[in-house]
Amino acid sequence: MRRVEHVMGLPISVDLRDGDAELAESAFAWLRAADAQFSPFKPDSEVSRLDRGELTREELTPDLVEVLSLCDFYEQSTGGAFTARVPGRGLDPCAVVKGWAVQRAADMLREGGATSFCLNAGGDVVTAGEPEPGKPWRVGVRHPDLADQLSVVLGVRDGAVATSALYERGQHILDGRTGQPVSGILSVTVFSDDLAIADTTATAAFALGRDGIEWAAAQEDCEVFIVDEDRRVHSSPGLPVHIC
Amino acid sequence: MKWAIPVAVLSVAGLVPVWLYSPGAAHEGEINEAAAPPAQEQQQTQQQTTAPQTTGSAPKTTGSAPKTTGSAPRTTTQQQQAQNRTVSGPAVNTSEGVVQVQVTLQGTKIVDVKALRAPNSEPTRMALPLLKQSALKAQSADIDTVSGATATSGGYKQSLQAAIDSAK
Repeated sequence: MRRVEHVMGLPISVDLRDGDAELAESAFAWLRAADAQFSPFKPDSEVSRLDRGELTREELTPDLVEVLSLCDFYEQSTGGAFTARVPGRGLDPCAVVKGWAVQRAADMLREGGATSFCLNAGGDVVTAGEPEPGKPWRVGVRHPDLADQLSVVLGVRDGAVATSALYERGQHILDGRTGQPVSGILSVTVFSDDLAIADTTATAAFALGRDGIEWAAAQEDCEVFIVDEDRRVHSSPGLPVHIC
Repeated sequence: MKWAIPVAVLSVAGLVPVWLYSPGAAHEGEINEAAAPPAQEQQQTQQQTTAPQTTGSAPKTTGSAPKTTGSAPRTTTQQQQAQNRTVSGPAVNTSEGVVQVQVTLQGTKIVDVKALRAPNSEPTRMALPLLKQSALKAQSADIDTVSGATATSGGYKQSLQAAIDSAK
């Protein structure tokens, strides 16, 4: 069962190989609910209300507390290069919310009994099980210059792959320390077992520029594939490269 | 997941030489194979793998934050764990600063050593972390999904992922 919907401004594809097709509907329902709750672009979202001072810390839902603590963790870990609070702008936890919400959607599919699926949210991927017995999900990583080419293919069973890159939205990642667009890296791909970690690590590494290469590689439980501006590839030895 | 796994205490004694070792040829990203301790030491570190570690490892500077994600149910990586497992050593004060390493084991073989914390000194920078460097290549291959392909709706329509979604 395959389905694509646009949620959070992203095309989200579900490829469900077993389990009830209604599971996909509940996963999309959760993603729409997460968008309504966490979007800084919706005036009545919890994030917007917090940003306007209408909610105190004590009044926040546990989910928003979790998202904000993840934001804080990566902000501290990157010395402020990654931040949900760029000076002069409102609170924007989107960089954490996306991976976190999609990971939870994947958890819901698993809890509902699905054992083989691939969830792709705007290029950030969670997989479970095997698409065919004995074979991993083949996750191609887009080439930073050539939209129809791949720079590497990963073989993943239960795992998450996130890529942060410049090629589509222009320079959409800012260094929180300077407020300026970052440079130094063309594309960061992070493999982990949790998309909240993979996605945020990729974004934070990007925000660090060249320093992000070693920073990301040193993150626990993360394997990286990073293309720098000189088009050199830096990859972790433990990266699950799939030999095609 | 990573925060839910009990982390084994690994004696760092056998691994400090890893960091102290200053490889002559660790430039331009070949895997620094010299960073793996000799076989005998591997055996020892295996045997010294003991109780769950309660202190957080270095990247978790806020502690509380990662734990909150641990509440989400995770049923992942059983197959991967069967092949590889990682253990983090304690943070150890050395004359050069605090060192903490993480090793990845395949069975009893150490396949990767990563510095969770390392002093900002020259030998460390040369040796850690272990990253391979290579030239960027382009390939096309049979795949099930694409990472990094589709940030916007307009981009999606022309993307590989859209082609995959409509093909099946």
